[in-house]
Amino acid sequence: MIKFDQVTKRYPGSDEVLKNVSLHIEAGEFVFVTGNSGAGKSTLLKLIAATERPTSGTVLIANQNVSQLKASAIPFLRRRFGLIFQDHKLLYDRNCFENVILPLRINGVPGNEAAKRVRAALDKVGLLHKEKAMPITLSGGEQQRLAIARAVVSRPSILIADEPTGNLDANYAADIMAIFYAFNQVGVTVIMATHDALGMSATQNRVLHLNQGQLMQSSPSITGINQTASNSDVSTS
Amino acid sequence: MNNWLNHQLQAIKLVLSRMHANSLSSSMISLVIGVAMCLPSLFYIGVDNLSKLTDHMQNETEISLFLKLDVSHDTISEIDALLAKKPEIKQYYLVTKDEAWQQLQAKSKSNPDVNDAVNQLGKNPLPDAFFIQAKSVEPDDLASLKTSLQSIPGVEQALLNTEWAKRLSTMISLSKKLIFFIAALLAIVLLVIIGNTVRMQILTQQDEIEVSYLIGATNSFIRTPFLYAGVFYGLFGGLFAVLMILGITLTFNYAIADLSSLYNSDFSLTIFNGSLFLTVVSTAVLIGWLGSYLAVTRAIASVIQLQKNH
Repeated sequence: MIKFDQVTKRYPGSDEVLKNVSLHIEAGEFVFVTGNSGAGKSTLLKLIAATERPTSGTVLIANQNVSQLKASAIPFLRRRFGLIFQDHKLLYDRNCFENVILPLRINGVPGNEAAKRVRAALDKVGLLHKEKAMPITLSGGEQQRLAIARAVVSRPSILIADEPTGNLDANYAADIMAIFYAFNQVGVTVIMATHDALGMSATQNRVLHLNQGQLMQSSPSITGINQTASNSDVSTS
Repeated sequence: MNNWLNHQLQAIKLVLSRMHANSLSSSMISLVIGVAMCLPSLFYIGVDNLSKLTDHMQNETEISLFLKLDVSHDTISEIDALLAKKPEIKQYYLVTKDEAWQQLQAKSKSNPDVNDAVNQLGKNPLPDAFFIQAKSVEPDDLASLKTSLQSIPGVEQALLNTEWAKRLSTMISLSKKLIFFIAALLAIVLLVIIGNTVRMQILTQQDEIEVSYLIGATNSFIRTPFLYAGVFYGLFGGLFAVLMILGITLTFNYAIADLSSLYNSDFSLTIFNGSLFLTVVSTAVLIGWLGSYLAVTRAIASVIQLQKNH
């Protein structure tokens, strides 16, 4: 589904943010990306989401080489993803319903169908009763759930979340994680950057650990189950 | 196709609701466009009407040749023979001083004031005159013919009746060029104003643009509402301009009706000029579209840059 081969990313005037990263994420996986801040987590997610192009190496997403895609084709690739940001990136000038409907407008889903899907997405994250509320009146956890509703409303096959629980207290964080697990259960690939071990404790999901731009280890988390099987997917350099 | 149409309708609805929400600033910008379109249009209407007035005068190519008061009959026949030989002359006729005098007296009978004046003159003050129709209508040919006639002995003065009309017409064509430049300058001003307005809107909508871009909006999706905003500003501005032009020409015609009746003229400005109105509105729409296109293209590029540097 997602394949990195010897990917290096360098921003103008900076060192390499990612160095020779190779990895392979299968459809339906739930993968954590960990590492200190500045380790390159966000850049890795941006490369997956095709908001950045690699400096060298190849990024394949659904068998499409991102580097070779025309600029005009990128938006359509991006629609396969649901993106969730640490700072939510909600639009505060409109209510919850209008926030969630935005991807459907972009996809050209007609009015009635769109309204149905918006309500379904709000229902999944437990915010159906708040559809008329303005985002600013929601709590931090609710805002993040709203952001998730917006990410899933267009039924993407891959969810990419950059520290979705980073600003939340433990109770809210657990809520959010439960929602992600629920989506993963129905076959959605989830890729999540996180710096806290709490969110991923007691999981047997694969962990991609980044240290100063290098992929250090890829393990099925702390429990150690299936470690060898997962490692075969990833070459570390 | 359906999808495309749906998107256009959504964008139009969005833009109109935004304009409605900011109705004061929207009408201000439309008014500015209207005034800017109105100025060269009024100038054009004035010049266009004047040039219609002078056009039919210019077609007269008559040269009046007034002879000296003391010329003899022999000299007159000499001049007559000379004129007959000139190839540039289409036709001519002689009005002797006696004929002219009779004509004047006959004409003045209808007007008692003039009649008194004519009678007080006592003797005939009028010269013999030839009225000459040239073959060519070109101003240069007429001028050289006039000069050659002027040099004939016994001639007091050769008058080209249309000279002042020519001069006026030259000034009018100069004015038309001037209008073009004024209109071009105003068009640039409008481009800047509209571009700036749209740029301000983009700034307030920056979050939306950034998020839309991240979740897969195409450039045209982001651009479309702003392009419609520019088009609507132009459309409303153009309609404002048409209303203003109508109002001003109507007022002007009222005022000039009295004046032109004094000159036995029915001069008035053409009120309904369909092609002018169409030009004004479509130019305003075009400028609106172009201004916002330039602004939005630059703004999208900077938003993308901003988003990448995050």
